[in-house]
Amino acid sequence: MSALHRIGRWFMGPIPISVLLALLIGACFMLVAGVDPLSGYSAMLKGSFGSGAGLANTLQRAIPIIGMGIAIAVAFRAGVLNLGVEGQAGLGALAGGIVAIYVPGPAILIVPLAFIVAIATGAAWGLLAGLLQNLWGVPVLLSTLLLNYPARYFASWMIRFELNAKDTDMVASDQVRPEVQLSMLVPRDSAFAETLRNSLGPTNPITAILTGVNWSLVIVILVVLGAIFMNRRTRFGFESGLSGQNPEFVRYSGVKPGPLVLRTMALSGGLAGMFGLMVIIGAPNTRLIEGAFIQTNYAWTALLVTLLALYRPVGIVIAGLFFAAIMVGSDAMGRELGLSPQIAAVIQALVIILLAFRVTIPWLRKRKSKASDDPPFAEPEHLSDPRLAVVETNTSKESER
Amino acid sequence: MNFLELFDQDLISSVLRALIPILLAALGGMLAERVGIFNIGLEGMILVGAFSGVAASFFTNNWLVGTIVAMICGALFSLILGYGAVYRKGDPIVLAIAMNILAVGMTSFLIVAMFGVQGVFQDPGIDGIPVWRIPVLADIPWIGALFALTPLGYLALILVPVLWVVLFRTPLGMRLRGVGERPLAAATMGVNPQHYQLGAVIASGALAGLGGAQLALGNVVQFTENMSAGRGWIAVVAVMLARAHPVGVLGAALLFGFIDAIGFRLQSFGLPQQLTDAGPYVVTLLVLIVLSSRLRKTRDAVLT
Repeated sequence: MSALHRIGRWFMGPIPISVLLALLIGACFMLVAGVDPLSGYSAMLKGSFGSGAGLANTLQRAIPIIGMGIAIAVAFRAGVLNLGVEGQAGLGALAGGIVAIYVPGPAILIVPLAFIVAIATGAAWGLLAGLLQNLWGVPVLLSTLLLNYPARYFASWMIRFELNAKDTDMVASDQVRPEVQLSMLVPRDSAFAETLRNSLGPTNPITAILTGVNWSLVIVILVVLGAIFMNRRTRFGFESGLSGQNPEFVRYSGVKPGPLVLRTMALSGGLAGMFGLMVIIGAPNTRLIEGAFIQTNYAWTALLVTLLALYRPVGIVIAGLFFAAIMVGSDAMGRELGLSPQIAAVIQALVIILLAFRVTIPWLRKRKSKASDDPPFAEPEHLSDPRLAVVETNTSKESER
Repeated sequence: MNFLELFDQDLISSVLRALIPILLAALGGMLAERVGIFNIGLEGMILVGAFSGVAASFFTNNWLVGTIVAMICGALFSLILGYGAVYRKGDPIVLAIAMNILAVGMTSFLIVAMFGVQGVFQDPGIDGIPVWRIPVLADIPWIGALFALTPLGYLALILVPVLWVVLFRTPLGMRLRGVGERPLAAATMGVNPQHYQLGAVIASGALAGLGGAQLALGNVVQFTENMSAGRGWIAVVAVMLARAHPVGVLGAALLFGFIDAIGFRLQSFGLPQQLTDAGPYVVTLLVLIVLSSRLRKTRDAVLT
């Protein structure tokens, strides 16, 4: 099969069709809101890709989504259903943010310290869920979900009662000092930025991206490469991938599931904490604002992205960019047409639902053999979809206890 | 600070208020669990019920219409899980995660689109669910609170024994349980498992929708963005702890209602709201730990 043929078939496959259908349903929502879907979607497209600033914004927003997506994928791939990235990233952002804002000292010491604290906090919150499963058999799926709430309320309490700054009406901490802030790839006031602006023009996409996206871009690229390397080349990646698919076999070959869960949760939570911190120190004059981190919805978007990409790092990058574009576009559309930017969550969730429905073009399905139709009494769980491996594999945990 | 003040007669009615939405949703989750579908979409179903109930009550100025619409919308929304998991063989966990996000997005979008407000929708036109006081009985000290509930409150409490009878003493219940435990055997007996599974999921959506109606039209009369605030997750835990048994579900819901109510009262003793709000989740975790030996035996503990 030629490459072109394969690409053609991909476009008739489930993912593009789910996306298309989700956009169609999103259009219905716009109609309900009394907005012409065509102008809605064109506002969206213009906002996310139409200008250099929009492009930079999309890229910047994709970074935490991709990073947390990798954090989730690391866990899901090992069969550990970590739904607590919101809490892990939120606490990482809080702890690292406190270091970045309140600990005095030169930036060259403070920034690494903030990173270490954020990673350690996220990892600790993740480890807690791992320990609860190993020691008492509380499923990670439930404990991580429940741990999101204490994390959220603790952060909100901390900011409101301990950190609340006097110089603002918001419930928020002091500002991040400019020298601690992650610098843009090309700092805006540098000579090189000036050259770029002069030679390419101030609104050129390249100028906008280089001066509008910060160094977390490099970190996320390293994390993605690291994840690919880990999955393919390291013992841990091999074992965790196998235990996601068949924990029985992995145990049989001498891997202890308990430590694997702990290491996975620590890694996943630590990554989440790091990307949480970069949201805080990534933009100029940021404060820790009560409830602001939850509102970004990064963690849950990352979860959808991971499910869409089936835990594959490269897929997460592509899906993350796509979902970030939807978010940035929805914000732009919301501003322009007076709509709620939450349309982004609607479209994103619909993509996943439709994908789980396995929508296909009817005539394509007919060509496949009828034998593949399941008997009427088949159980809801099944083997074909790698996503399901997660649920399935856990069935065997029973015998472990 | 006198801790005895925490336990007065009003406590019972606040416990009941906190308990009923959770109980309705958890009873729904229990039905889905019994046919072998792990429903963690309760959170979203509650939210959809709350929103549609408020919207319908606002447009018709009638709480009964609002309640019925909430039930129908909850049921319709649950079709995503029912149709997807039963007929399209989608993974229930993936579907439910997406449903919960969809519910938050959809309701937050529609509140702006339909009512032009952000965050909270409050209007005198929204007709709240009234409290039906049963004369004489409602005046009995302490247990009187049991007789001054909304219609949905009575419904929830009555459903506990009713569902117990249905599940364990009727052919319908036997088939439901059979479908969940041995789908093949049930199919050989001439029962179509898919019909029962879909039916149970729809019923769970309807009940969770009613829970949302109680939350938004009974406990308060307004819709707030993301107002389910984790109650659906607590309902999921209640189902797991109770091993999908109606009486156990009531017990678990009672515990969470109690913690919720106590937390609310502790605020008047100067505890910050953020800390008491976290109470139910922390206690849920502690209960999960304490009852873990019990959990391990459950078929569902498998769903680590």
